[in-house]
Amino acid sequence: MAQMQNSQSVALQLEKVRDKLPLLYERDDILLTMIQQRGDVERVSSRNMRLPLQIRPGGKAGLANMDGGDLGRGSGTVYDVAQVSPVFFRHAVEITKLVEYASNAPEKAVENAAKREVKNAMAQFRAFLDKLVQTNGNGVLGTIASIGGSTFTMTKPPGAMLVYYNQTIQVYDPTLTTNRGSCNVTAVDPFASTITVDAVPGGTTANDVIVHDGLTGAQPVSLFGILYHQSNATTGTWLNLNRATYPVELATPRVNGNNSALTPGAVRLAINKVRKALGSNQVSKLIAYTSLEQEHQWEQLGVTISQIIKEGAGGRASDLDLLFTGEKSMAGVPIKSSINANQSRVDFLDLSHWGRAVMQDIDFYDVGGQTVFPIYGASGGLASAYIFYFVTGFQVWNESPRSGAFIDNLAIPAGY
Amino acid sequence: MPPRTKPSLIKVTRETHETPAAIEERVTQAGGMNRYGAPQFRVVWGGARLAWIGGRWTDRDASGNVIREAVELRRVPKYLPMDRWHVERWMPPESYGSPDEWQAQTTEVEDGIRIAALGPYPSRGDYEHCFTLESSAGEFIPLTAAASDWIVRAVEWARRQPRSNLRGAVAAREARRVRDWDRDVDAVLDEEFAGAE
Repeated sequence: MAQMQNSQSVALQLEKVRDKLPLLYERDDILLTMIQQRGDVERVSSRNMRLPLQIRPGGKAGLANMDGGDLGRGSGTVYDVAQVSPVFFRHAVEITKLVEYASNAPEKAVENAAKREVKNAMAQFRAFLDKLVQTNGNGVLGTIASIGGSTFTMTKPPGAMLVYYNQTIQVYDPTLTTNRGSCNVTAVDPFASTITVDAVPGGTTANDVIVHDGLTGAQPVSLFGILYHQSNATTGTWLNLNRATYPVELATPRVNGNNSALTPGAVRLAINKVRKALGSNQVSKLIAYTSLEQEHQWEQLGVTISQIIKEGAGGRASDLDLLFTGEKSMAGVPIKSSINANQSRVDFLDLSHWGRAVMQDIDFYDVGGQTVFPIYGASGGLASAYIFYFVTGFQVWNESPRSGAFIDNLAIPAGY
Repeated sequence: MPPRTKPSLIKVTRETHETPAAIEERVTQAGGMNRYGAPQFRVVWGGARLAWIGGRWTDRDASGNVIREAVELRRVPKYLPMDRWHVERWMPPESYGSPDEWQAQTTEVEDGIRIAALGPYPSRGDYEHCFTLESSAGEFIPLTAAASDWIVRAVEWARRQPRSNLRGAVAAREARRVRDWDRDVDAVLDEEFAGAE
């Protein structure tokens, strides 16, 4: 009878938590999970998901001469179809046997290694995907401003905010045509906006961009994030539609911050652009999505008082919470801030128009029921470690780019 | 043949209310006065607080179809929802930038027409949205004496807080967010792993 191996017991443990993964993943505390999996769309296959859009109105209205006058010709509504296809992401977790042996009983360690790794990996994978949802769909996590030895100083925004320690990254030229090679991050300083890597790929120069692992070829495609959907560009493509064909309809209203600090006027301009485009009462579903930096700047203006009550007062002011939501707002629009958000933007989003086209919910990578895999040593024999993966396949879409607005080029407050 | 019902002659398109003088006075006392001798805080009804918005307006029917477009200035309710009481705080003119900056930022050009998207520069400052009086579930709360007491306490509380608390409060919230996630995940996983071992 074959002896039971410890990795089999780990597999059983992982299998037990398998149905809990979505629970750990789908919490409304990051933008990625605020964008809902929509029940009104079919789970997508490997073919493109199609989003029919009513882009332009039809019909010709005007004064008519009923005394035998010519009533003129008509026109019809212009429809087009946006398309999305999911992209897959994985998160690999390796555990050595020593770590497991040292923690597989309560008397040895307070936490089981497998449990700890599931927890840490879930947190890291969520963070990774949430960082991607801040980007513009090509996997670019930052731009190199200068290089000193093996340290990149990154252009802010986003600086080094979208990179994490020990992440494998790749360096591309500024046009995203030439992949210069990959390296591993050995240090990240988000305050100084620097990244240190183990070996700088050959040919790397200032203005090159870094992208996440797994992307290949020229013009790589990754998760379509805020910078992709909330753009006023009139060239390029958006969900397979040519922006030049619908330069007004596909452009999200923009307010240029001109490197100045956030002001109430800029906020009102942005919100009003949505009201003017959609009708004056159509902003009730908006959220103001921004960074901690701009949230702080808004606080500094001294308009709002709710944050002080909610966060600064502790239990002493709990009675003050009874009569209002406690949500901080920008001109009445609830603020959702994130450590990953672009530091110089405020995005007004109507998430009822956003969704995720999901081909594979988050799960363990599974081959014939096996979720834990051995690692092989250099000799070809087994290494004393094993590996498991989280995988998910989805894409983010937005069916109404004009239902939002954004302020960009805002000055980043001192101290960040 | 069923009788034809006559359409109502009066259709209320925007409900307006005045803030009761007694409540106005209490909030003014609690919040103090600004440099022009006007209240720092005030309570306004959403449907009665109007502001200028200029630019290209696209009007739609109930189904979202475009029925007309016009480039013009409109005086419309500043805050949504319109059917709530809102507390406003006075902001000094300098918080809107200089008049030149205001003009540069808020002038929009539509069909060759230059239009002030936010109206004229607020040279004596303006009142901005501070918070909406509604329950934690977003339900309407009438402007009663009890609500007025609460607003006054909130305003007084806000006046006592140093600005230096703000950044610490944001950092504390972020730390709590991480702790909450950690605790919730532990709660889920502890049970599962305990049962699996």
